[in-house]
Amino acid sequence: MRRALRLFLPLTVVAASLVTAMIAAPPDFGVKGPLTVAGAAEMLQKTAVIASLLAVWMLAAVALTLLSGREIRYSSVEMRASALHCFALGLVAVTSFALTAIIFSYLIPYHVGAPLLFALGVFAILTKIYGTVAVFHLVGTLVAGSRTREQLARRQWLRGDLAMVVVGVVILGAIRLIPVIGPIVWALASVFGIGTALATKFGRREPWFLAWRAVEM
Amino acid sequence: MKEPTVDACQHFLEDPEANAAHLQTCAECRAVYAGLAGKTDLPPVAIGLDSLPLAPWEGSSHRPWPVVLGGIAVVVVIALALCDAAGMSPLHVAESSLASMDVLRGLLNRASSSLRSASVMTQVAFGAAFLVINALLIVLLRRSPRGMDA
Repeated sequence: MRRALRLFLPLTVVAASLVTAMIAAPPDFGVKGPLTVAGAAEMLQKTAVIASLLAVWMLAAVALTLLSGREIRYSSVEMRASALHCFALGLVAVTSFALTAIIFSYLIPYHVGAPLLFALGVFAILTKIYGTVAVFHLVGTLVAGSRTREQLARRQWLRGDLAMVVVGVVILGAIRLIPVIGPIVWALASVFGIGTALATKFGRREPWFLAWRAVEM
Repeated sequence: MKEPTVDACQHFLEDPEANAAHLQTCAECRAVYAGLAGKTDLPPVAIGLDSLPLAPWEGSSHRPWPVVLGGIAVVVVIALALCDAAGMSPLHVAESSLASMDVLRGLLNRASSSLRSASVMTQVAFGAAFLVINALLIVLLRRSPRGMDA
C-alpha cells in the first residue's frame, strides 16, 4: 500500500505539473522563430512588457523584504524543508481560488457576490505577491547563498535577505524572458509561492485553525 | 561608578541571562555568580561554532545597498531600453497589464453564465467539486510548518 502511494504521489505531482504547464503556456504554444518583421516587432513588445513587469516585481520584492524579511526567509526555508507539500497546497489553493471565484461570480446578481469576489481577488493577489517573493528568496539562496561560515564572512555584498531576493528576481526574470519555458517556469514558481505563503500563514508561526481540546477538570 | 540597587540585584537573580550587564556593575552578584559557577560539576562544553551548519538567519539582516540599487537600476534600464526599442511608453505597459485582467474577468463571467445556464446536475456536481477542493485545502492547511528555525 505504501509502495503504491510512493509511486502514486510523484505521478500525481508530475500530472499536476503538466496540467499547470499546459494552462500556463501561451495559446500559440510551439517553438517558432520571428519570420516576419511584424512578428519580430510583436515579440519585442512582449519582451518589453515582461521586462517592465520584472522591474515592478523587483521594486515590490525589495519593499516587501525590507518590511518583513524574517517572514520571507521563514517561508523560503519552509519551501526547502517540504517542497512537495507546498506544491500540492499551491495547486489545491489555485484550484480553490478559481472555483470560489466562479461561485462568487455566480452570486453577483444576488448582491453578495461582488464584495466577496473583490475580497477573494485582493487575498489571491497578496498571496501571489508574497509567495513569489519567497520563491525569489529561495532561488537566490540556492544559487548564490553562502554554504559555509567562512564563505559568509568573506562576502561583502552577496549576503543577506535583500541580496538573495535581488539575485532571485534576476535569475527568474531571465528565465521568464525565454519564450515557451519562461511562462511555464513562472507559473510553477507562482504555484510554489502560493503554497508556501499559505503553508506558513505568510511567514507567521500560527496555525490557521485552532485545535479543539476538552477542558480538563 | 553608580551603586547597584537591591531591585537590580533581584532582577539579575531572577533572570541572569537577560540582566547579564548587571554583573559588570555589582561586585556582590559577581561573587555569587562565580561561586555558583564553581560549584557545578559539569565540565564546560566546548562548542566548535564552525563545525555547526550555517543557520538561515546568519548574516540575513545585512543590507548590501549597492547590490540592491544596482540590481534595480539594471532591470529598470533594460525595461526602459526595450520599451524604447519597441516604441512603447510605460503607460502602454500598464494598459496591457489591465487588458490581461479584463481577459480574466471575461473568462470568469463566461464560466459563471455557463454555470447558470447549465443543468441542475451539472450545478450540483460543480458545488460538490467546490466542497471537495476546499475540504482538501483545509486538510492541507492544518499541517504545521516543518521549516527549521528561521
